[in-house]
Amino acid sequence: MGPSGCGKSTILNMIAGLVAPTGGVMRVDGQALTGIPPQVGYVFQKDTVLPWRTVLQNVTLGLEYRGVPRAERERRAREAIRLAGLDGFEDAFPATLSGGMRQRVALIRTLVVEPEILLMDEPFGALDTHTKLRLQGQLLALWIGRRQTVVFVTHDLAEAITLADRVIVLTSRPGRIKHVHAVKLPRQRDVIRIRETDQYAREFSALWHVLGEEFAKGETAEEAGGTA
Amino acid sequence: MTDRARVNAWRLAILILTFGLWEGLTHPAITKAVSRVVYFVDPFFISRPSAIWSRFWYLNSGAVRVPLWQLLVSTLESTLLGFVVGVGSGFVAGLVLGRNARLAAVLQPYIVAFNSLPRIALVPLVTMIFGFGLLAKVVLAWLIVFFIVFFNTFQGARGVDPDLVHAARFLGASEPQVMRTVIVPSALAWTFASLTPSVSFALIGVVIGEFIGGESGGGIGYLIIASLGNLNAADMMVALLVLGLTGIVLALGIHQLEARLLRWRPEHQARG
Repeated sequence: MGPSGCGKSTILNMIAGLVAPTGGVMRVDGQALTGIPPQVGYVFQKDTVLPWRTVLQNVTLGLEYRGVPRAERERRAREAIRLAGLDGFEDAFPATLSGGMRQRVALIRTLVVEPEILLMDEPFGALDTHTKLRLQGQLLALWIGRRQTVVFVTHDLAEAITLADRVIVLTSRPGRIKHVHAVKLPRQRDVIRIRETDQYAREFSALWHVLGEEFAKGETAEEAGGTA
Repeated sequence: MTDRARVNAWRLAILILTFGLWEGLTHPAITKAVSRVVYFVDPFFISRPSAIWSRFWYLNSGAVRVPLWQLLVSTLESTLLGFVVGVGSGFVAGLVLGRNARLAAVLQPYIVAFNSLPRIALVPLVTMIFGFGLLAKVVLAWLIVFFIVFFNTFQGARGVDPDLVHAARFLGASEPQVMRTVIVPSALAWTFASLTPSVSFALIGVVIGEFIGGESGGGIGYLIIASLGNLNAADMMVALLVLGLTGIVLALGIHQLEARLLRWRPEHQARG
């Protein structure tokens, strides 16, 4: 988490091998990056579902690229579609789906190839609160089976606490790690009920203060930049 | 559905009105008076629907050396060949240049120069090189179609959403896979937009070739030029009407193909 422009997405893009660091070396699993690391999956904020492919054809895409036989990839894709609650839409084209459904397709399309590291850049940022909560719940449900590393960029504090084991707060520009906060919530989480617990409230207020300082700084910096 | 029926009724009304007026104004009893006002409203210039109709059957009969339908087959053959070759080569060239900015920059002045050359100006040269037959007509259609398809595909290939390409790479796509699953389908939408004008322009290229080609080239264009030589308005009108109908059929065919291949687009989704 961090104020806008602090470099959250840039960090993700560096882990993804899309952006080379200006100094130092980016290592994933101890290996210096050259291009896109194969063990990384990336879910963008923007809808990147291929519009000319049906839901099923979108979900099988990664398996197709990896040469998984057709029957096998369709079986796995249908299973994932069912888990994400999209059954019945296998043969629908994305143009007929809502934004939330398309983002779910993008999510399971990435999960079905079982990446060891999952990068998510504000994947639910463009969705309404209700859809967002549903997708958070589904992400947790899908994640709990494999428990791979997820690096999730968000500027929604509630979302960060709900999903994360660790929340890393960045400073406003230049982006530095300001604070690493371990979330002490049980791993089995209900995205709605967890918000009513005392522990959630404590986590929230602890992070709220840290974050508040940075957002305030970010704003003054932006104002100064604007008038300069 | 009633809306559609109404549109069709209007279309039919316009057709009947046009041909009715045409037939009426060129009637022997009044054509003298009418042609004094507008000189070309005269069967000599524009013939009459009834005369065109009878010439149509005559030209299709065994009484003529090359029946009309054979001329049409010749024209269609050249048009479709030129169209297919033009679309294929234009598409490939558009993809290659659209994904290779350096090459596109190098070739740009030549492409602009060649494209601004009126294609008709090339007809004599093509005739010199390829003679008067099928090949020359195909080359003419190809020269026109190629550039239309090329420019559209080029735009489409260049404008592919880079995030879609990234997303595919993260799913493990190799470069050929990115090309096949992301860039080609994305560019195809643009290519398709160019197909309807392309098929019309292919027909233009072929007919011009047939004007020059004479009897050995054959085709509907030859019938038009021959009718000019004989000052035979009825035959010319037969040729023009047949060309017009051919154009409609070809455009409808393209539209069907487009609706099938681009059924993912919102405008082709079933409403309901």
